[in-house]
Amino acid sequence: MTSISTSNSAFYERSIMDLASLRSQAQDLQTSLSSGQRLARSSDDPVAASRLRQLALADNVSGIDEVNAQRASTDLQLTDGALSSFADYVARTKELATQAANGTMTDAQRAGIGQEISAIRDNVIQLANSRNAAGGALFGGQSAGDAYGTDPTTGLYGYIGTASPNALPLGDGQTVTPALTGPQVLGFTVGGSSTDLLAALKTLGDALQAGGAAAQAAAKDGIAAMNAATDSITTAQTVVGSRMAWLDLTTTRRTDLSQMRADEENTVGGTDAASTIARLQQTMTVLEASQASFVKLAGLSLFNLLN
Amino acid sequence: MASDLLSIGASGAQAARVALDVTAQNISNASSEGYVRRSVRLAEVSSSGGIGTIGDVSLSGVRVDRVVRNADQFRQAEVRRTGADAARADAEVAGLENIESAVDQSGVYDAMVRFQGSLQQLVGDPTSTSLRANVIEDARTMVGTFNIASTALTSAGQTLQFEATDGVNQVNTLAQELARVNLRLSRAADATSDQTALLDQRDSLLQQISAYSDVNAQINSVDGTVTVRIGGSSGEKLLDGGSAYALSMAVDPTAGTLSFTIAMPTGGTAPVSATGGSLAGKAQALAKLDDVRSRLNGLADSLMSTVNGAQTAGADLNGVAGTPLFSGSGAGGMTLALSNGAGIATAPASALGTPGSRDAGNLNNLRQALATSNPTGGMDALLFDISGTVAGRKVTREALATIAGSARVSLAAQAGVDLDNEAANLIRYQQAFQASGRVMQTAKDIFDTLVAIR
Repeated sequence: MTSISTSNSAFYERSIMDLASLRSQAQDLQTSLSSGQRLARSSDDPVAASRLRQLALADNVSGIDEVNAQRASTDLQLTDGALSSFADYVARTKELATQAANGTMTDAQRAGIGQEISAIRDNVIQLANSRNAAGGALFGGQSAGDAYGTDPTTGLYGYIGTASPNALPLGDGQTVTPALTGPQVLGFTVGGSSTDLLAALKTLGDALQAGGAAAQAAAKDGIAAMNAATDSITTAQTVVGSRMAWLDLTTTRRTDLSQMRADEENTVGGTDAASTIARLQQTMTVLEASQASFVKLAGLSLFNLLN
Repeated sequence: MASDLLSIGASGAQAARVALDVTAQNISNASSEGYVRRSVRLAEVSSSGGIGTIGDVSLSGVRVDRVVRNADQFRQAEVRRTGADAARADAEVAGLENIESAVDQSGVYDAMVRFQGSLQQLVGDPTSTSLRANVIEDARTMVGTFNIASTALTSAGQTLQFEATDGVNQVNTLAQELARVNLRLSRAADATSDQTALLDQRDSLLQQISAYSDVNAQINSVDGTVTVRIGGSSGEKLLDGGSAYALSMAVDPTAGTLSFTIAMPTGGTAPVSATGGSLAGKAQALAKLDDVRSRLNGLADSLMSTVNGAQTAGADLNGVAGTPLFSGSGAGGMTLALSNGAGIATAPASALGTPGSRDAGNLNNLRQALATSNPTGGMDALLFDISGTVAGRKVTREALATIAGSARVSLAAQAGVDLDNEAANLIRYQQAFQASGRVMQTAKDIFDTLVAIR
């Protein structure tokens, strides 16, 4: 006698398979809802997981670019402040030189003006050796020490920093140079020969203090030198301003990109709450129905009816 | 008179008793693993008339012809085959998931990203001691995560090897058990409850072996003994009659991969190529593990040589030539050689002898070299490879599990016990027993009637 009906073990085996599969589906949905992440591990969706890793890398790099941009911005603001001070000193020197160029001035008066110019030169030296946010010489390029000092090889007073400062990466291959070197700010050409503000101030101050007929001529030369110095400083201010604008631009772009990344991270790796809840509800309904029908069917035994 | 009403009734009652016993046995074993439903086949006992007795009534009742075991060998073979495939896929996925966790959850990728990030941050201020310390600490974390990944891989491999060793022992134990069953089967009387119990045991043992390795079973149609070949129908014999041949396993000392051999009846050993069962799954997982480990070691080595090469080409904070940042080899042997942030060679060789140089030329070279060799990209590719493999194998596993499940259900539907059916049988045989009793009562009444004649 062969049986064509379902055996008891087959019924239970099938029920266990179905119920276990429904339960694990519900559990997966519940996990993704409670964690807010669609992926519990990379193998859930390898492509999305790889994309998420790249996005995380980009996020990390972008965070550091942000720090670098802030550092550059601070240095540029410091440079900008110093440039304004330089411009003030140059303006004052020009005023003094104009007074000294006046033929009615006595030697003693010119000597007084000369002393003031020497004092201005000391201030300019201090300003030129000012420090950036990290404690390095603001106008010294990559110099480990001061920007201006006595050159150890020539013994002359002058620029002792390096030719160019470090460029800071801003991400996507963009860079910004957060500082200017001393010669870029204070160097200029007057009367066909290149000099710098410190040398010009020294020449003018010394000549005025020495007095005599040369003093008035020196004062006239000084006016020309100060005009050239103003041009140089104004140019430097323009450069600093445009670099700060460039920083603003890259920062805006970085913010936009990071927003896009966050959106993509959410799309690729986040849980779509509405559809997940709906699917969970669907699974739960099916699971409850399966459980109820399982209990009903399992209770359906001929033995219950035999007395 | 050639027939005897009383003995006919007695034989009917006896047959009904046996049928009731078998039904009760079925009910009590309704959920026993490997139990195959029995039924009783009854046959009439009668003799045809001989010379001179033609037309005579010659009836002798009923007898139990045989206990029928409702097993279908094809479905059983299907359960074994699909079960072996599912077990292989299961073991492989479990092993691969361990490998995935070892590399993915050790956080190597994140640590590599942070290390590169801290180098980028150092560009902002190459002389800052805090940024330098940050680089050293991130490098330390990265070394730690590489070590953890390597250790986790090794321990995943050891677990797999341990489980495979246990599997081989199980196969040998089961094969010996099956050899004993074979011996007893060859002596058991045909179609008895003893034989059916042994056949149940035989099928159950075969199914258990098939979970470890794909076996091919040839069943002797005469006495029900089985010959088992391992690794498909053309494989070597694992079991022949009463002798079982030992399966053994060797672990490659460097790669950690598995190879199986089996003792031959003629002496010596032969290699076994298992394609199903958990042993094959573990062997496949271990082969993948070896691949992953060598790629992880390759990544670690390339990262170390890139960083160390750049380090030695530059000048550190004190203006002396840089020394290697890492030492050792491989992900497991990687160590941090530099513990002081001042030792990071950010300045180019031209700054040798100039302490405190703010020139980040060498640091930029290092970052450029890292961007070219792209170890994070390599790690991403490795993680993608592992997780992609796991995801693909999971799909295979689901498919094989469904196939194996339906094969099991189909066997259970045919060979399992249906309690409703048994309940009906219980009533049927109970009624048969009562009817036979009534027959005996009738025989007694007839006898009494005859005796009462006076």
